[in-house]
Amino acid sequence: MDLLVKALLDGDQAQAITAVKNLRDAGVGHAQIILDGVETAMVQLDAKCTVEEFNLLEIMLAGRAVMGVMKELYPPGTHSPQTKGTVVVASLEGDIHDLGKNVLKMILTAKGYRVVDCGKDCPVEKLIDTAEQETDLVIGISGLLTSVIPHVRQLREKMTERDLGHIRIMAGGATLKQASAASLNVDFVAETAFDGVSYLERIAGGAK
Amino acid sequence: MNSIERIKAAVNFEAPDRVPVIAQVFGHAATLAGVALGDYVQDGDLLARCQIQALARYDYDAVFALMDVNVETEAVGSNLTYRADQYPDVKSYALSSGADIDRLSVPNPHEAARMPELLKAVRRLRQEVGDDVLVVGCVLGPMTLATQLLGIETALYLAIDEPEQFASLMDFATEVVIRFGIAQIEAGAHLPIVFDPSASPAVIPRQFYREFVLPRLERVFATFKRTGAVANWLHTAGPTEPILSFYPQAGVDIANFDYCVDPLDALKLIPQTCLDGNIKSLSFVEETPEAIADESSKLLDQFADRGGFILSSGCEIPPESKPENVAAMVLATRKNG
Repeated sequence: MDLLVKALLDGDQAQAITAVKNLRDAGVGHAQIILDGVETAMVQLDAKCTVEEFNLLEIMLAGRAVMGVMKELYPPGTHSPQTKGTVVVASLEGDIHDLGKNVLKMILTAKGYRVVDCGKDCPVEKLIDTAEQETDLVIGISGLLTSVIPHVRQLREKMTERDLGHIRIMAGGATLKQASAASLNVDFVAETAFDGVSYLERIAGGAK
Repeated sequence: MNSIERIKAAVNFEAPDRVPVIAQVFGHAATLAGVALGDYVQDGDLLARCQIQALARYDYDAVFALMDVNVETEAVGSNLTYRADQYPDVKSYALSSGADIDRLSVPNPHEAARMPELLKAVRRLRQEVGDDVLVVGCVLGPMTLATQLLGIETALYLAIDEPEQFASLMDFATEVVIRFGIAQIEAGAHLPIVFDPSASPAVIPRQFYREFVLPRLERVFATFKRTGAVANWLHTAGPTEPILSFYPQAGVDIANFDYCVDPLDALKLIPQTCLDGNIKSLSFVEETPEAIADESSKLLDQFADRGGFILSSGCEIPPESKPENVAAMVLATRKNG
């Protein structure tokens, strides 16, 4: 299992998949591989990020390796593991920068959440429609441009109009994180993707 | 002192008559003039006119011939989407994979896409302000251009999976940047700012910066200085503390630092380099003139003993910023600088 954790932390997808195959051959179950391998690696990565060594490239590589492992364990068409809940993510209308959103998506998947991705340049109405169909937990919005802020601010009111006020709104990204949750009219502003996941972990139990 | 003399004094750690102030006003100049941003970024004459109007209004120390971050990638072959009220976005990248690099050619700045319009803006601005006010052109850093040619995720994965291809991409980007920057200096820019957000430590680790980015920035800045740039100005947003110590080696004379970098840390990390920054960009949209004045005064105090400082925002002053907030920053240097 240590080899799997190390491969994930190194962002080495091929090594990670080899480690998974070896574990499986040795009779280790999928649930244990996720708990002791993937989750352990994510906790260590999270710890590293909190000591101000956060950079997107390392997270992307670890995330890609995790995705490879998940695909190895649960090939398309097979049953996915039980999820902790569904999160809808988007980069809002007028913003095509989606790297931060994609990184969040990888981390959330690795942490056991199901993620529905509305993509970039996403109209607010489309995001709300998707949230209505897919989640009662959280939507996550990422923004690099100040021009998306008015869209962010109207989200709460539009969701309340459609009786979706119970769904939490989490914001992040280079520009949105310069603002406070109150000024954006959202529930939480995440400094990093892991910060966002921590928030989710805190609320997931009660909100689901 | 005029603006150029004032900025040169700051760069050389001599005593200016007051601290220079450079508001990073790009698209905000269009907003002020009631011009659509989508028009501003495609018309060099219009851009220059808006910049001159903004200079007349605010009376700061530099004007910018800067359109957006997609000028070079469009000239190489990317397709953009233009919108009336926003900067353009990349619709499809010039490269679909790292294997295509060999088919690219370095664009001629006098012919390719919007590059000639940007050069026109440089010429107009220099004609208007002469050597009184700093005329700043703009090129992307090689790292940022590499990510704009391929898309940032694809480019970053390429760097890890096919480092030699990525190095070739970086070398190509460096050639584009150098040729465009030389053309800007020859057109009259006192310097081209090197805008390199993708090289931020928020995106790549320090070691990656040292291996891939630093040697190419050294080439870029050495070339610009030989061509006549009055100083080398590097603009990398985000938490740049891990890379600031590389800046002197890169040839940086003016180092932009963002709101998230503690000025005292920046002072310690590059004690011999002029710094510009670092009021939070969003504050110019959200805050009051009093808050901007307070933040400006605090920064001026922090740099009072050392010198080598240009008061500025940490990154772009957003197009929709409140004019009174920009004015408050400029006024602070008259009162306390």
